[in-house]
Amino acid sequence: MNLAMILDMAADGLGGRVAVGSLDGGITYEQLRQLARATARELARRQASTLALAEPQGPVVPAALFGAAWAGASYAPLNYRLPATTLEAAIDRLPSPALVAPAGIGGTPAEHWLADLRAGAATDPSTEGYPEDPTQPAVLLLTSGTSAAPKTAVLDHNNLLAYIFNTGEFASAGEDEALLLSVPPFHIAGVAAVLSATWAGRRVVPLPVFSAEAWLEVAAAEHITHAFVVPTMLARIVAVLDAPGAGPAPALRSLAYGGARMPAPVLERALELFPETGFANAYGLTETSSTIAVLGPEDHRVAHASAEPGVRARLASVGQPVPGVEVRIVDGEIHVRGEQVGGRYLDRNGRVDEEGWLATGDRGRTDDDGYLFVEGRLDDMIIRGGENISPAEIEDTLIRHPSVATAAVLGLPDLEWGERVAAAVVPAPGHVIDVDALAQWVREAIGSLKTPSVIEVRDELPATPTGKVLKRQLRDELGDRAPS
Amino acid sequence: MANALGKRYQCAVCEATVLVTKPGEGTLTCHDQPMDLAQPKPLPSAD
Repeated sequence: MNLAMILDMAADGLGGRVAVGSLDGGITYEQLRQLARATARELARRQASTLALAEPQGPVVPAALFGAAWAGASYAPLNYRLPATTLEAAIDRLPSPALVAPAGIGGTPAEHWLADLRAGAATDPSTEGYPEDPTQPAVLLLTSGTSAAPKTAVLDHNNLLAYIFNTGEFASAGEDEALLLSVPPFHIAGVAAVLSATWAGRRVVPLPVFSAEAWLEVAAAEHITHAFVVPTMLARIVAVLDAPGAGPAPALRSLAYGGARMPAPVLERALELFPETGFANAYGLTETSSTIAVLGPEDHRVAHASAEPGVRARLASVGQPVPGVEVRIVDGEIHVRGEQVGGRYLDRNGRVDEEGWLATGDRGRTDDDGYLFVEGRLDDMIIRGGENISPAEIEDTLIRHPSVATAAVLGLPDLEWGERVAAAVVPAPGHVIDVDALAQWVREAIGSLKTPSVIEVRDELPATPTGKVLKRQLRDELGDRAPS
Repeated sequence: MANALGKRYQCAVCEATVLVTKPGEGTLTCHDQPMDLAQPKPLPSAD
């Protein structure tokens, strides 16, 4: 099997439907298949075994993903926001790459590449097939890594197809359905979204540069029915909808989120602002071909409406494992096994043990009904005077204060206590944070043990593109200014 | 029985599942009996 089969089947069954873009002016599944075949021919001509793409959005992205697969090559979407030297180092590690990138990095600019493909598709009507080599690397992703050096994760055709086959049904989307794609193509969620949408037959509307205003505008103009956002995006969308004079929230059927921990106050407000929308919390890793557990719409509404603490707590859960995936907790760490789990890297040893289990590095637990809770990274736990303190609860408490937009909590070295609790907070628009009043707010809510002894007000937090706060960097910065 | 594009058929005996990638006429059989059309188990959209 080959990832190209997804597009091949969509073009066979739904060829005239718009695959990417607006209903007028977008490209159909049949046109996308022609672009993918032209991509494959160009890769063969260049004898490239990797297609590296540093491009925000547009039809060139799915054409590259499926075209590389069609050629039997690997697709390597790159973070176009990285500094040129970091990008060049990442490209140097890829096997025989063809590079599509803005001028200045050294590859073919996307508009030239796409124009050549269109010309090629128009003049060469050949309908060659794709190789059947399911253990070949299909997608190579530079993982963000909040605490370690970046690494290049390898997902093969089998890994990604297992995810698609186990979680979706072919051509299951109605012709009116459209997905607003606001995660970048170099993130696993961006890859999975294109594969899932093509398999379902759901039109993809890319939003190349996210702002809450643009997201709301496109959602209305394109009659968007489905969306995936990272928590920082949802926080901004909620803030705009809550501002005086804001219009109503778009009538989405499905709003999925993931990529980082969702602050409880943001989710609770979003559930109120989107009362008819089905929410899904998707938990997964780059190494697991995206989602391995989902908290679905029904669970969200039941938990939100419940007065019982155990049921209500499930709003913070990532739900149950998807079909084909096993999850277990080993010494407080989440381990995962299944066909969609890759766990291999281009540039270092794999992380899957001989029985197929991948240790995620995430702290977690399951409740009596099998709901999975992700509590943070293993190395994020603060240990103060022998007490384990999880940053998540403190972060949620800080964000509940009206003057705080977002917050990150971590441990700093402390001579007396081993570690002490430190927080970095970003003010909400139009607010000034009173640090003493904020500390008092936390103390009254969750006690003095969990109250930060250092609170620094900042304009923004260092974060990955999906909004995971770079705690190592933040720890260095806070530590420099507040020596123990 | 025609085999529809993208549908899955399952053997009642051995639980082998096949996915139809090119539609066509004929009957898919396994263990000497026609395979059953598998009913999709809808999952929430997660991406």
